[in-house]
Amino acid sequence: MFKVSDATGGYGKTVIIHDVSLNVWEGEIVALLGRNGVGKSTLMKYMTAIIPAKKGKVEIAGRPAPNTTFGRARVGLGYVPQGRFVFPRMSVIENIAVAAATNGKNATMAVEEALEEFPLLRPKATALAGGLSGGQQQVLALARALAADPCILLLDEPTEGVQPSIIDEIAGTLLRINKERGISMLVAEQDLDFCLSIAERAYVMERGTIRLETDRESLRKDKALQQELLGV
Amino acid sequence: MDYFATVLISSLSSASILLIATLGLAVVFGLMGVINLAHGEFIMMGAYSALTATQLGIPFILAIPVAVLVTMVFGALVEIIIIRRLYGRLFDTMLATWGLSLALYQGAVLIFGSVSPGIGMPQINFNVGDYTLAAYPIFMILVAAVMLAGIYALLTRTVYGMKARAAIQVPDMARAIGIDSARTNTLTFAIGCGLAGFAGAILLPIVPATPSMGFAFVIKAFLTVVIAGPVTLAGSALAAIGVGTGASVVASFMTSVAGDLFFFILTVVLLRLYPLGVSAKWRIKL
Ligand SMILES: Nc1ncnc2c1ncn2[C@@H]1O[C@H](COP(=O)(O)OP(=O)(O)OP(=O)(O)O)[C@@H](O)[C@H]1O
Ligand SMILES: [Mg+2]
Repeated sequence: MFKVSDATGGYGKTVIIHDVSLNVWEGEIVALLGRNGVGKSTLMKYMTAIIPAKKGKVEIAGRPAPNTTFGRARVGLGYVPQGRFVFPRMSVIENIAVAAATNGKNATMAVEEALEEFPLLRPKATALAGGLSGGQQQVLALARALAADPCILLLDEPTEGVQPSIIDEIAGTLLRINKERGISMLVAEQDLDFCLSIAERAYVMERGTIRLETDRESLRKDKALQQELLGV
Repeated sequence: MDYFATVLISSLSSASILLIATLGLAVVFGLMGVINLAHGEFIMMGAYSALTATQLGIPFILAIPVAVLVTMVFGALVEIIIIRRLYGRLFDTMLATWGLSLALYQGAVLIFGSVSPGIGMPQINFNVGDYTLAAYPIFMILVAAVMLAGIYALLTRTVYGMKARAAIQVPDMARAIGIDSARTNTLTFAIGCGLAGFAGAILLPIVPATPSMGFAFVIKAFLTVVIAGPVTLAGSALAAIGVGTGASVVASFMTSVAGDLFFFILTVVLLRLYPLGVSAKWRIKL
């Protein structure tokens, strides 16, 4: 359903990721693991066409993905970036509404659904997004991505800088959304426990390539592998 | 007493004229961060468009939308051909728009000559006690208020407005939720230019069209937006009304040079007190 083959790209002349191939089946949650700086975020920017491709291709729902970032968003690729990047001088409501309206959805209804889904945003609904705490911004970035009605969601370190109580909430919400709306997910993470709690399958990256593919059980058992690849 | 009332009203009117001339720049520079040194020439282009339209027999009230349309289309072309390649490159943008400003000025000299006729508008006056005021400049207070409210509504109440702000604030993430940031930015730049064109047209009965008229506006417009800071619309309104009215009051009690001096001194003082603009800590959208 979501497929990347031979992804090669980077910043300017520097190539960061080499020949990365992976896929996410319909309704699946897949983890993308790896230490700091192995290229997880770069891979996600490649997938969203925020950085240009040197080589390789991306398929969304069985079709070749459009070349532009906004074109990919419109065919159902959702993205929650590392560092959240909410629209800081727009209100919480506007952050959600603009994503919904851009994709031809009723903005008022999308906002109401999102506030229902993420009650922690409700008291902040009219506040500027730039003034929210890290955890609140993370939830808002997720709500914004969901408002666009994606079929595949890329999440880049959704737990980074977020307090533990909200991490559990995010895990619960992702699982529920995955079940109820059938949205597939690819989650880049360093927090192994978080990943083991939501993903059935994982790819482990090392120096810009996929080192191996594994499932939840083998990864959970294999302490030596965890130590070697992730330093945990 | 009547004298003070007239001074205050006419000063408020000058401040409103400043605000009208500034709002386009508040969008292009304040919101988008593009230092458009040709802003004054867009005002000039609006003035000449309206003038030419009236000379062709179009009533003044309809000449205004013509001027807006001409400047918007030209603004869109400028964005696509020049500005788009230069986002985030301050110095290059300044150089390019400075060149554009010179070219437009020379173009106007060639096409229209350096003096031009006013437009024949009936002069309407009214009295405050013993003093007589021209109605049209006072009317500009209302125009400025409506213009400000209109832009605010466009940018906060419409889907386009939300897309425009998203595309400016975090372009990559705007694209990642499906917004064609490049197209949105072209439209926003064009709207800023259209506002400048509107200013040139609506002010035509007070400020006659001349090739060099842009220079008179552009410096004060830039200072106003710089004083305003990040909350660009409300900030510009406050700065234009505050500094503009103050300068104009000083000018009417002393000389217009004293008024300008007051304007620049107050700007320096405000920027010392608020290096990031008066609105740096405001928690509102625009
Ligand atoms: N904008 C950029 N320009 C140039 N190089 C970059 C840029 N962003 C990241 N890099 C480099 O690309 C490499 C991979 O970075 P990337 O952010 O993809 O890693 P990551 O796996 O997401 O790490 P982390 O877990 O810290 O988020 C690093 O060596 C980094 O220095
Ligand atoms: Mg990263």
